[in-house]
Amino acid sequence: MIARKKVDSKTISQQKKSRRKLLTFYRIIKYGVDNFIRNSWLSVAATAVMTVTLLIVFVVFASRIILIDTVSELSNNVSMSIYLKTETTDKVGEDLVLEAAKLSSVRSVTYCSASCARDKFAQTNKDDLDALSALNNATNAFPATLSIIVVDINDTTQLEDFVKNNAMVLENISAEHTPSFAGERKLAIQTIGRAVNFIQQLGVAIGSVFVVISSLIIFNTIRMAIFNRREEIQMMKLIGADKSFIRGPFLVEAIIYGLIAAIIATGLGVWGLFSSSATLASYDISVNSTVGLANSYWPLLIVAMVVVGSIVGVVSSLLATRRYLKI
Amino acid sequence: MILLDRVTKTYGKDLSPAVDRVSLFIEPREFVILVGTSGAGKSTLLKLLTREEKPTSGKIVVGGIDYDTLKDSSIPMLRRKIGVVYQDFKLLPQRTVFENIAFALEIAGMTRHEIKNTVPKVIELVGLTGKEKQFPHQLAGGERQRVAIARAVVRQPKILIADEPTGNLDPKHSWDIIRLLEKINKYGTTVLLTTHNADIVNKLKRRVITLDHGKITSDQAEGSYRQ
Repeated sequence: MIARKKVDSKTISQQKKSRRKLLTFYRIIKYGVDNFIRNSWLSVAATAVMTVTLLIVFVVFASRIILIDTVSELSNNVSMSIYLKTETTDKVGEDLVLEAAKLSSVRSVTYCSASCARDKFAQTNKDDLDALSALNNATNAFPATLSIIVVDINDTTQLEDFVKNNAMVLENISAEHTPSFAGERKLAIQTIGRAVNFIQQLGVAIGSVFVVISSLIIFNTIRMAIFNRREEIQMMKLIGADKSFIRGPFLVEAIIYGLIAAIIATGLGVWGLFSSSATLASYDISVNSTVGLANSYWPLLIVAMVVVGSIVGVVSSLLATRRYLKI
Repeated sequence: MILLDRVTKTYGKDLSPAVDRVSLFIEPREFVILVGTSGAGKSTLLKLLTREEKPTSGKIVVGGIDYDTLKDSSIPMLRRKIGVVYQDFKLLPQRTVFENIAFALEIAGMTRHEIKNTVPKVIELVGLTGKEKQFPHQLAGGERQRVAIARAVVRQPKILIADEPTGNLDPKHSWDIIRLLEKINKYGTTVLLTTHNADIVNKLKRRVITLDHGKITSDQAEGSYRQ
């Protein structure tokens, strides 16, 4: 009987403890929300700074995706050509396409026979009368062409080996025209390749710098806000509040900043992207996939922004309150 | 209730100690006034009692708690047992009178029901009924100090430390505050008061401890103010 009573009192005191914890948790959230509302001026300022930061993050990421899309589209248009003898038959051409397509470094291959190359020339030079008359007078000396788009325009060694060693290629390759990646054009293509890499790395570097700077601005804003309330923090300590009880509301506030700022920043960012997509597209910038991403994943985008904003805010608050809690 | 045994507090190595080998015993329910010029060591002594500072040497025991064995994580618990009132009130500016007082109970994890029962009684005790919903900036100095006292005593501490509670108040309101402290003392709380006000010290006829250059220079049972 006594033993049972003991167990009962134990469970009751444990229940009481957990209820007290829950109550404290609820109070921390309530205090955070109250502080956010009652320090409205400060809340507006902090939220605005965070909105700007998140907007920068959004713009950096969106422009990086747009840049990568645009660049990969550009490099997709850089094709390398293997010129074949004029008399190459379509059958041999198609076989060569199949052969080349087996290479891992090749994205796609198309074959264009001598007459097709002649038509293409006529098409691209349709306004150039001299070239057209030259074409009419000339015999059909155009080489048949394998147009190859590689996965990475900086890596053509496999393709070079293919040209040098494949029996079928050696049998049919044009004697007058060297493959475009092997001659002068190789340099041009590699330069484009390096530029693409450089731009992508630059994008990451600039993006990180912006994110770091704006995180520092948020940190400073929150630090100032907490500096203004340092006496309040010290007073809470002096009447016996636990660290978590003092810190909690500041963290809740930071999360509210992050929440509101994320929604505003995502809204502004997506709106800006949509409304500028037509203009951007007219400059041959590939925005379609980014717009598509924003269109289908915006809830995820908001969640990610909330997480980013909250983490920056919470870390700032933790660092900023630390020095006032040491009594 | 409060025991200090040869307590010394030195801030810098080369500076003379702010509190110098102070030994002191204060009984439960006593009303003690601590006097001394600025820099005599009063504030340091109070900070040692609230554990804002650690003594360089010596022993402190308050309400049965030995500060030598007190863990940092237990400091909040200690402070909940000591009520403290300051010259500058130290109220939460964004909170109403009721919320300021309730805060002291909320941090201790009291339920809403308990808070709703307790706070109005304390507000009545300090004479602020009807001002529950006002913010500190809407109150006069004396009223703000009443809020601070209410917050300090709402947890029914065994000890109330009042550091210059009348420093910012005119004589009439000062006396209101002192009468309130006496009332609280009568209900059984040990009160430790520091003040510069000679008139208050002389009229109260209580135990007066005088500090000078960190040392106790006099300790009289029904003392008076002396510079």
